[in-house]
Amino acid sequence: MDSIQYIGESLLPGRIGQFFVVLAFGTALLSCISYFYATKYKDEQSWQKIARIAFWINLIAVVGIGSSLYYIIYNHLFEYHYAWGHSSRALPFYYIVSSFWEGQEGSFWLWMFWQSVLSVVVLFRGKNWESPVMTTVMLCQVVLASMLLGVEVFGERIGSSPFILLREALQIPIFSDPNYLAMIADGNGLNPLLQNYWMVIHPPTLFLGFASMVIPFGYAIAGLWQRKYQEWLKPALPWSLFAVMVLGAGIIMGSFWAYEALNFGGFWAWDPVENASIIPWFTLIAAVHVIIAYKNSGHSYFAATFLVLISFVLVIYASFLTRSGILGETSVHSFTDLGMFWQLIVFNLLFLAIMLYFLISRYKELPKSKKDEDIYSREFWLFIGALILVVACVQIIASTSIPVFNAVFGTKVAPPVDPIAHYNKWQAAFAVLVLILSAVAQFLKYRRTDTKLFYIRLGVSFVVAAILTAVFVYVTDVYHNFMYILLTLAAMFALVANARVLGDAVQGKWKLAGSSVAHIGFALLLLGALVAAATNKVVSINSTGAIPVQGFEETSEKAGENLFLNIDEPKQMGDYTITYVGDSVEKPNIYYKINFERRDANGKVTESFQLTPNAQVNEKMNLISSPSTHHYLTRDIYTIITSAARLSMDMFNEDEHVHEGHDPLEDYEEPSTELVSIGDTLRYRNGFVIVKAVNRNATLQNMPLEEGDLLFSLNLEVHSAKGEVYDASPKLLIKNGNTFDFGHSVDDQGLRFRFTKVVPNEGMELMIYQKPLPEKKWIVMKAIEFPYINFFWCGTIIMTVGFFMSIFRRNKELKMKEPVRKTSRPKLKGTEV
Amino acid sequence: MKKSSIVGIIIIAVAIAMIISIYTDSSTYASFTDATKTEAEIHVVGQLNKEKTLYYDPVQNANYFAFYMKDNEGTECKVVFNGSKPQDFERSEQIVLTGKMVGKEFHATKILMKCPSKYNEDQVEIKAASVS
Repeated sequence: MDSIQYIGESLLPGRIGQFFVVLAFGTALLSCISYFYATKYKDEQSWQKIARIAFWINLIAVVGIGSSLYYIIYNHLFEYHYAWGHSSRALPFYYIVSSFWEGQEGSFWLWMFWQSVLSVVVLFRGKNWESPVMTTVMLCQVVLASMLLGVEVFGERIGSSPFILLREALQIPIFSDPNYLAMIADGNGLNPLLQNYWMVIHPPTLFLGFASMVIPFGYAIAGLWQRKYQEWLKPALPWSLFAVMVLGAGIIMGSFWAYEALNFGGFWAWDPVENASIIPWFTLIAAVHVIIAYKNSGHSYFAATFLVLISFVLVIYASFLTRSGILGETSVHSFTDLGMFWQLIVFNLLFLAIMLYFLISRYKELPKSKKDEDIYSREFWLFIGALILVVACVQIIASTSIPVFNAVFGTKVAPPVDPIAHYNKWQAAFAVLVLILSAVAQFLKYRRTDTKLFYIRLGVSFVVAAILTAVFVYVTDVYHNFMYILLTLAAMFALVANARVLGDAVQGKWKLAGSSVAHIGFALLLLGALVAAATNKVVSINSTGAIPVQGFEETSEKAGENLFLNIDEPKQMGDYTITYVGDSVEKPNIYYKINFERRDANGKVTESFQLTPNAQVNEKMNLISSPSTHHYLTRDIYTIITSAARLSMDMFNEDEHVHEGHDPLEDYEEPSTELVSIGDTLRYRNGFVIVKAVNRNATLQNMPLEEGDLLFSLNLEVHSAKGEVYDASPKLLIKNGNTFDFGHSVDDQGLRFRFTKVVPNEGMELMIYQKPLPEKKWIVMKAIEFPYINFFWCGTIIMTVGFFMSIFRRNKELKMKEPVRKTSRPKLKGTEV
Repeated sequence: MKKSSIVGIIIIAVAIAMIISIYTDSSTYASFTDATKTEAEIHVVGQLNKEKTLYYDPVQNANYFAFYMKDNEGTECKVVFNGSKPQDFERSEQIVLTGKMVGKEFHATKILMKCPSKYNEDQVEIKAASVS
């Protein structure tokens, strides 16, 4: 390999990048070890100094890796496998950013980067916590950096470097040519599905959420390790809230992306990749609630610690699921294995082992409360709520992990036939319980509640909720299903109860506002999800299609969901008259314009709009379509192209259009030659032609006739099927014994006539050229109506705001030197430092 | 015993019951031969028979797509899908069908396919010899 001198490669950015990868790995390791000793020998300042220096160099190295990789992608250096595999020249600037994290290496980098940024906060604000917390964080950084190393140790490749060259990654003959680079025209490009603005922002948000989960984990480990059992909870709480907020926002952004760009027709599909990200979110939410319960009552310390720890382990499990290729055929959008299967398992086991070691070794010292919780206490129900979240989580883990169990036990169990129904069945029940608890707990106080007052308040809220539910289910049409009514009732109950608390908050108790706002958001989100998922219906039902789908009608399965539309031929679809009016090409996308019109009884147009679902055809014959959605306040109309004529033409006839020069007759089909006499009628594809007369005294424009020239013109009348009449008069000139003919075209009908010969006593020779009928453009589309989906998006935003308010509050608590309620602090068993 | 412990035990019991039920909900990967024996919806894994023609004529019926697939045991069967032809179907390497037999045809309600998509395939496209 070294014997070849390659031309045109720029190897420097890759070498710099690789240097930074090694540097990042080394400094992370150094920083981790130094922080470890800084924690152990607190008196020696030098350990911490070394650790900090190593950390800052690590940060520079991480930024360096990102910059080198960005430089490579931005400058289209296709000698690098990553740039070649994930980008192309035509990619607009902002999608270069998304191609950056399309690959596993890029997303690992993203994770490292956020971890570094968050570490800076810990460095500046962690105080005594810095060393022990950073030990764990830097350990994670070491593992992440090792994922990018791409070096071989004892024959095993560790990690996958983003700076690997194309010729190192692939074994193809062209690399024996020193000038191979000139032959590589373009990169493989970014997956069109990822060319969506949500893809620019969704992965960084999601990874910020994942990365921020290591901090509460670090605090928990630090607390156990340093035997500061109580203290770690306080700083860990705002961090946990932050992680929950960001991860939640990231997950919903992914759902936005799926709704706007993917063609599966919905916002949540219980795809294993989605599940993998929601699992740690559930456990951390449970953790947040139990931490708050513990802080206020002294109960459930172990549960709080366990949940914080397991959340991060589950983040790693999620990355194992999505990155190891184990999901295989059960998921449409997981990564393929990059040869890091075992490395990911080690990552998982390492952090699981750390968690188990500390939980077991410190178990006996953990604060426990001897008292039994009172049933009428908030902490008891917070704990129950958290448990339900955990059980919900177990269900998702168990169902999602079927491929993992198959791999471990060699079984061949297939996932449920209808995953959405399967998950909904379980999760709806859990959602009802969680919502009810989030309402009930708001009426309870910590430790002891006045039962009478409690029942009165509860009763009032419940009645209000029941009335609202009745109205809501009637309006949104979900009253046909008992489970839907129950879920709506639970959500309304949560909404009313939390709104009451919010009402109090406005009158002064601002402290509690965050949680009630978040709960209101959550209830709205579930309401929106319920209604949109339960009542969304395909509106493009093929009712006008005269041809029943063979076999399906009898088995009473769904009617056809795809609607066939010819260009300019309006069709009725539900309330709308829809017309496919044309398309516009904006490379590489084709936008299909579909007009929607709604008419009142008199046929007057009351509403009209245009949707432009698009499809991308790439050179390898893929059709990748993206939906277009019309948003109303109370519902969305979602359309997607499932098939189209233009595309199939482009796909198959591409090569035939290559031509040199221009021949005026090349657009026509093979002509037919007829011998005609006056009065004859000839058929053509779209009508008929009558031979009217022969004119012997014709004249030619711009060409005076000379003595002895003979000019004939054949008068034809073209009648189209639609009744239009055109005249045509091809001419024939005989000059000095040579014949010349002057054809006549009727462009509207795609016809051209040539009068080529006069055959005495038999007739005139007429050549008829026809243009191939322009293939009528058509599309096949599917349209789905999503009612009340705005509740879902709205709920998301409100929930995020609620989390933000809570972070603010808990952060403020952190700043206060003295605990607010020192006197009422619970008496705890265990070592208080 | 503390109340929370009791609740904990109950919930763990629920969780175990739930996991067992998950596995009754899950289906199996089967062959066409198995499919003829059952009324239930099952998964069939196989490959598209690329030699036989795919039938999809949206002008006639946008919701009828038929093709022939060989399952992993080598049995071939006509498959009818009530929907449009999935994009890129011809290039599929492996197909996972969900559905059941109706007479001699397999009626699929869902098609999942694995494609050697250009986005994960290492296939370098070479520019027409521009060596100068």
